[in-house]
Amino acid sequence: MSHTPFILAAYLIGAVVLFWTAVAPVIKKRTLLRQLKARQARMDKSQ
Amino acid sequence: MNPIFLFFHKTGSPPWFYRFSGYLIPWLWAIFIGLTVWGLYLGLFVAPADYQQGESVRIMYLHVPTAWMSMMIYGLMAIMGFIALVWRIRMMEVLVISSAPIGAAFTMIALISGSLWGRPTWGTYWVWDARLTSELVLLFLYFGVIALYNAFDEPRKAAKAASLMSIVGAVNLPIIYFSVEWWNTLHQGSSMGSDGPGIHPSMLLPLLLMATATKFFYGANLLTRARLLLVKQDHRKRWVQDLLSKESQ
Repeated sequence: MSHTPFILAAYLIGAVVLFWTAVAPVIKKRTLLRQLKARQARMDKSQ
Repeated sequence: MNPIFLFFHKTGSPPWFYRFSGYLIPWLWAIFIGLTVWGLYLGLFVAPADYQQGESVRIMYLHVPTAWMSMMIYGLMAIMGFIALVWRIRMMEVLVISSAPIGAAFTMIALISGSLWGRPTWGTYWVWDARLTSELVLLFLYFGVIALYNAFDEPRKAAKAASLMSIVGAVNLPIIYFSVEWWNTLHQGSSMGSDGPGIHPSMLLPLLLMATATKFFYGANLLTRARLLLVKQDHRKRWVQDLLSKESQ
């Protein structure tokens, strides 16, 4: 039995999980900051 | 004041923590990438195949460090949760909550990579062995902490409940660690015994490099998540408003 597919699958899944774990908070923070800025701009306009 | 106490005192302040971690994060990522590239090169291309496991031993350079991290992070969560509950330090609550998804990710990788190693080595992807089952319980504990935190509307109450669950769940850590000694398991004993590692240096170096790299991943990701949570919780406070106006300019 060739071990290569098992090794590749393990590292590929590991890379995908770690990549998502690293990128998810960055995307969430960008979205949050954009929402907060839009809200602040709306408040400044209404004042 | 003692500089170390002063540092910890400052770390308790969200604006200071936000600024300081912002400087630190790029360095942590850079060290993580450097160590990972070096560790993977040695582990996948330089280290020899094992005389019993063959080429599948290369999965160990991912499986062992992630399994160590899954336990280390939960242990840290229990300690930080204890500090958060006893001394009511908000930054500790933030760090407990921010640690949980990272710990869950490492546990998931440890379980999947272990399963992919088990198929060619043991002839099966999964057995209800004490080590495997207790590691699966650890994954459910991480999910439990995350779910419990999200079940509350009030962040401080949610963090207290999650901290308490982290402390209670820590009872699983010695079970995972000693499972291979307490029960007759299919999983082999610890890679690093008390009488030193029983691994050849050509295999030990990539293993240690990958183990160190995962610590830097945790550090960088933890700080990134903690910063996000702080902005979310403090969005009405002055320091976040100042931050937003600074970024708008």
